[in-house]
Amino acid sequence: MKRITLVCGAGMSTSLLVVKMEQAAIKLGVEAKILAVAEAELKHHIENTDVLLLGPQVRFLLNKYKAAYEPKGIVVDVINSIDYGMMNGEKVLNYALSLFK
Amino acid sequence: MAYEIIIINKTGGIRMKKIIEFLEKYFVPFAGKVGAQRHLVAIRDGFVAIMPLILVGSLAVLFNNLPIPGWANLMKSIFGDQWNSFGGTLWNGTFAVMSLLVVFTASYNLAKSYEKDGLSAGVVSFASLLMLYAGSAKDWAIPFAFLGAQGLFVSLFVALVSTEIFVKLMNNKKLVIKMPDGVPPAVSRSFAALLPSLITLVIFGALKIVLTDIGIPDVHNYIFTIIQKPLLGLASSLGAALLVVFLLHLLWFFGLHGANILLPITTALFLPLMSANVDAFAAGKPAPNIITSSFFDTFVYMGGAGSTICLLAAIFIVGRREENKAKAKLGLAPSLFNINEPVLFGMPLVLNPIYVIPFILTPLVLTLTSYAAIAAHIVPKTIALVHWTMPPIISGFLATGSVMGIALQLVNLAIGIIIYIPFVIVSEKYAKDSEINTSKTLNM
Repeated sequence: MKRITLVCGAGMSTSLLVVKMEQAAIKLGVEAKILAVAEAELKHHIENTDVLLLGPQVRFLLNKYKAAYEPKGIVVDVINSIDYGMMNGEKVLNYALSLFK
Repeated sequence: MAYEIIIINKTGGIRMKKIIEFLEKYFVPFAGKVGAQRHLVAIRDGFVAIMPLILVGSLAVLFNNLPIPGWANLMKSIFGDQWNSFGGTLWNGTFAVMSLLVVFTASYNLAKSYEKDGLSAGVVSFASLLMLYAGSAKDWAIPFAFLGAQGLFVSLFVALVSTEIFVKLMNNKKLVIKMPDGVPPAVSRSFAALLPSLITLVIFGALKIVLTDIGIPDVHNYIFTIIQKPLLGLASSLGAALLVVFLLHLLWFFGLHGANILLPITTALFLPLMSANVDAFAAGKPAPNIITSSFFDTFVYMGGAGSTICLLAAIFIVGRREENKAKAKLGLAPSLFNINEPVLFGMPLVLNPIYVIPFILTPLVLTLTSYAAIAAHIVPKTIALVHWTMPPIISGFLATGSVMGIALQLVNLAIGIIIYIPFVIVSEKYAKDSEINTSKTLNM
């Protein structure tokens, strides 16, 4: 089970993306648990995360999250702005999957 | 950023590019650091955690005072004379005590950011804060006056300082009492926190004595008078509002979450102004402040930052490119709830030199028109807090308790559409022209 967590400001815009990503996951036949959380809640969900993706509007948190979570073996990266803006679930899911080692 | 900056024409485009490059080099990393700054983040998360409670309290006050003729009589006839004590009770536990709530939540989040025990840190901060209140010896009371928004500055100060002391002490191995392995984690955690808690509390107890000795028995009143009141006076001005709106949109232009980065400051400034209005409304007195938290969410950020509901409407009215209309449709549903990242990153508006003018101008203009409408007593002041995702029209009524709130939103919508329309046309023309040029080049 691949566990992907998306984080943005309030967890609202990323939750739109989650739905699209889940649909894409079904199409690809991939078992993935995808979650969207607000920045403030991230610490409660980080234990159940393999890949953490940041909304581009909070990309200034990338270094902070990398420093905090990469030592725990979690891959941290930023969602591509255009894929995010177009809410392209398939592209973002494929990118997330490519980050799994 | 893997974006191509669209060049409008040679000279205008190059100047714009230089400004953007300069800002990207200096402003963006700075803003990023501010947005990630540990203490500001803790304050912001602290406020976010108590938002549900504050919203409930605000709605309770609105419920008690709905300016619908006959409402009070209707309620009395169903629930009796004390019908509004229910709302009052809800307010007492939430809005009225936000300083007590936020000292814990901010402290908890700050400690957690250091990977330390948030619960212990929060409890210690709470106790430290209570020590500083000038209690009434008469009936062992803590002054309600400073439990709410009026006490926010002291609360935030205590939360940050107390937690910093606590965390530094927790880092000192010699001060952490270790329990043998068999002891339950909750017990060993509280023993580990014992000495750091003790020392932190002693420090604040001593602080209270020092303050009383130097003639400040009521530090809350002191801070409120010397710092909070003047600062809030500045914050409630039109100039401050315009500055905040400008900065917020400048951040968004670079794809940074403007609202989030500025939240610690905007909440600390505008929530007390909101609170003063709520209190006045509850007491049947005229509300003092035009600028409040819900002023912006209701009349300026309609559809999200950039007042983008106006852009979407403009696209539906004059837009002819299928691509634009599809993007507008994609962004419409979340925009109704003021969530507009699909629009910001999808159009895109971020780093878009054609749309930058209406994107920053529209909210500034709407701030002016809304301020003017309220100052001229055409529209009532905002007297209730509404969540930023409350759709326009509904928010207009809820924030002001009046249909004039809705009317102002509709007027603002019209103004915003008028501002955006020419830029939609220019943007589409430019897109069409570059398509023609590309196909000409390809056909060569």
